[in-house]
Amino acid sequence: MNNSNRKILVCCGTGCLANNSFEVYTKLKEKLKDTKIAVQPLVKATGCNGLCEKGPVVKILPDDISYFKVSTKDVDAIVEKTILNGEIIDKLLYYDTNEKKKLISHKDATFYKHQQKISLRNIGEVDPLLIEDYLERDGYKALRKVLFEMTSEEIIDVIEASGLRGRGGAGFPTGSKWRTCYKYNNFPKYIVCNGDEGDPGAFMDRSIMEGDPNTVIEGMIICGYAIKSHKGYLYIRDEYELARKNMQIAIDNAKKHGYLGENIIGSNFDFDLEIVRGGGAFVCGESSALMASIEGNVGEPRAKYIRSVEKGLWNQPTILNNVETWANIPPIISNGAKWFKSIGIENNSGTKVFSLVGKVKNTGLVEVPMGTKLRELVFDIGGGIIKDRPFKAIQTGGPSGGCIPKEHLDISLDFDSLSNIGSMMGSGGVIVMDDTTCMVELARYYMEFLSEESCGKCTTCREGIKIMLEILTNITKGEGELEDIELLLDLSETISNASLCGLGKTAPNPVITTIKYFKDEYIDHIVNQKCNAGICKKLTSYYIEEEICIGCGLCAKKCPTNAITGIKKEPHIINADICVKCGACFTNCPTGAVKIGGVVVESKN
Amino acid sequence: MKVKINGKLYNGNTGETLMELAKRNNIYIPNLCHKKGFEGQGRCRLCIVEINDGGKTKIVSSCVYPIKDGIEVSTNSDKIIKIRKNIILLLLLRTPNNDTIKSLAKEYNVDIHYKYLDNKKKENCILCGLCVEACDKLGTKAISLVNRGTTKKVSTPYDDASKDCIGCAACVEVCPTDAISIDDKNGKRTIWNRTFNLVSCSICGKYFTTYEALKYTDDKLNIEKENQICNSCKRKEISKKFKESFKNTY
Ligand SMILES: Cc1cc2nc3c(=O)[nH]c(=O)nc-3n(C[C@H](O)[C@H](O)[C@H](O)COP(=O)(O)O)c2cc1C
Ligand code: SF4
Ligand code: SF4
Ligand code: SF4
Ligand code: FES
Ligand code: FES
Repeated sequence: MNNSNRKILVCCGTGCLANNSFEVYTKLKEKLKDTKIAVQPLVKATGCNGLCEKGPVVKILPDDISYFKVSTKDVDAIVEKTILNGEIIDKLLYYDTNEKKKLISHKDATFYKHQQKISLRNIGEVDPLLIEDYLERDGYKALRKVLFEMTSEEIIDVIEASGLRGRGGAGFPTGSKWRTCYKYNNFPKYIVCNGDEGDPGAFMDRSIMEGDPNTVIEGMIICGYAIKSHKGYLYIRDEYELARKNMQIAIDNAKKHGYLGENIIGSNFDFDLEIVRGGGAFVCGESSALMASIEGNVGEPRAKYIRSVEKGLWNQPTILNNVETWANIPPIISNGAKWFKSIGIENNSGTKVFSLVGKVKNTGLVEVPMGTKLRELVFDIGGGIIKDRPFKAIQTGGPSGGCIPKEHLDISLDFDSLSNIGSMMGSGGVIVMDDTTCMVELARYYMEFLSEESCGKCTTCREGIKIMLEILTNITKGEGELEDIELLLDLSETISNASLCGLGKTAPNPVITTIKYFKDEYIDHIVNQKCNAGICKKLTSYYIEEEICIGCGLCAKKCPTNAITGIKKEPHIINADICVKCGACFTNCPTGAVKIGGVVVESKN
Repeated sequence: MKVKINGKLYNGNTGETLMELAKRNNIYIPNLCHKKGFEGQGRCRLCIVEINDGGKTKIVSSCVYPIKDGIEVSTNSDKIIKIRKNIILLLLLRTPNNDTIKSLAKEYNVDIHYKYLDNKKKENCILCGLCVEACDKLGTKAISLVNRGTTKKVSTPYDDASKDCIGCAACVEVCPTDAISIDDKNGKRTIWNRTFNLVSCSICGKYFTTYEALKYTDDKLNIEKENQICNSCKRKEISKKFKESFKNTY
């Protein structure tokens, strides 16, 4: 085997590290050292490949072999079989659930084929701690271009013409934000990167900061140069230790190489970056709360009638963008506005990273062109629903996003289409739900999350969410009344209209959309005292349909309380008095004979 | 700057908030967290109004909204009244037995028999933040808003007797709902878990403040230990002196 340009990339993102990928990495290096190979292949630790659930991930280049769920026990075989003899280890290959076969290169998987990487372009391919790796992939070329060939206006023109919209939630046009800030002649000005990533389940920003920190740095310096700012802050979520570490190392290395600090690569332009550790609350991702937190104050939002491009950090003009937004800047400068605009759809240029989680077969980070259909995301990339159960809904936009039912499966994933149907893009979290999700309980769950995460500053958000939570809890316990539905909608209107910041303004979304698309579920809970998903235990009972039951006895075997009795090959019966409603029989019955019923009004003794 | 409020034109100053403009012109907008000297909190949300800015209507809180030329404001549109009623209802749910909130509820015809109302609740604080602002302004910073979400409250550090509190009761003074417990008894004042000795006025003999508060203001204003005279006696003294000097000159 020729090892002269061989590379072995070991994923060392947070997900894979949790599954001991660093041990795999060190063991691989040791093993190779002990093995007599004329030219040693290069072993690199990279950032997240977006398939954490199947990690640790090891990729071998240029052969393009990818191994999944690799453990230290596999290292000997990888070196001896694959590196020395070019043999492929079957059991470590990727299994494509769509094509129902194993693949040598994961790039052939449906999961990957539909993707197009711009902001994630380097992740998994470079060692985030080596600036040389970044430079090798055209890193800091865009910076060189702006510093020596472009004026502020030209830079802003390109960003504006590209149609880039902020990836942090609201989709505000980035170019126009920069232009407004550029116009204020009030110095100093500041640049801020929002790395708070509060949406549960979203991890694209973390992956970028961990796996390709230089692209964020480069984007921020370009903006600094364009609007004449010399100082930037990276506000990084409290829990993101590895992101902070990699970011700091990248900043130090960029300084050493002259890309950051004074007189950047001989251009006379100075720019410095500082990392600020997040305040640890969801609301700190909101721009004004974030800035208050950087200033050392309590992370409470303020009214934004005067925008932060005019008066932001310490009341000075400030540009705040999301991590993914920053990662798009260098490629746009290098490849031009036209190129970026050619990807995606009208008014929604480029790609968006989604973190696909929930009841889909393939979960992970995916970057697709804007305008990709929801169906494609769930069924092609996601491989469909686990155990091929019925698809019920997806939730986008984080805790205050909305639920989208199957009627809208063909919706285009872009800022405008999502908000048109009452949901939102948010940071790109996508949670897939099957028929075992109760939509009332889901709404209740989000209200609980938001009642804890509201900063508590304003009456409507603090007290409004609290009472909505109380009403929803009652409904899930079977104590709701029909008029509660109207009440929820009435309160929603007040909360979204009168709250101070985006958290309160969007908080009612999960309730509004579940009532809009799944009103019968509310009615089932209230009138029929029944939770069809079997989630609200007070409104759930299980029974066995005689005609379907084949008497295999599997349910009885799985029942933890021995509530099921019956003779082999004859219909079984559940004793409601003993049943603890765990649902084990329901999920394990091979014929679907176990059914969900509503409240048992009176049980016979 | 011209601003139309409820159909009438008014002249506004640059940088002024809608609330300030309205107050100057005796237009009442309900508010609970706004007081002279402590403007711009935007906490209670009661002061919301509807504005029309070049054809676009939106709801803003008037105490923090800087006026713009040409906007049309409605302080009492049907939509505003409906939402304001709900805000009062939300406050009532928090403090069902508070007189200030109860009379607001009556004024706005809010259903006080709302089924989710828990009449046993003893809470009085509506988290308007004015007490904290007042204490901050004095420079004592003995109390602050702590926690978030529904557990937010006004408190001293760790709920202990505050070292910084001087017992001046400025917080009590500004509280719109009489929520701060203060107890003056037998020459002693108990507030924020701490007990102070009260000072009596050397003229009328009434207890009027704490030693700590007196010393704090004296130190701050850099005056020699003044006579311990309460405000009302001080006022009387001044007017007496004024009258005397008046007599002497004419
Ligand atoms: C409650 C709340 C939480 C937010 N959390 C985040 C976050 O974690 N990360 C983020 O980038 N933006 C977050 N945002 C949006 C930011 O306020 C802001 O719009 C965004 O960072 C601007 O960057 P962009 O234009 O590049 O999207 C949040 C907004 C709200 C209202
Ligand atoms: S809307 Fe909620 S999170 Fe935002 S300022 Fe008000 S209380 Fe805080
Ligand atoms: S739901 Fe659980 S406890 Fe009840 S019968 Fe089925 S397996 Fe047994
Ligand atoms: S104690 Fe009074 S002044 Fe202080 S926040 Fe509560 S209601 Fe406002
Ligand atoms: S951390 Fe390795 S794939 Fe995400
Ligand atoms: S007075 Fe404006 S929000 Fe309280």
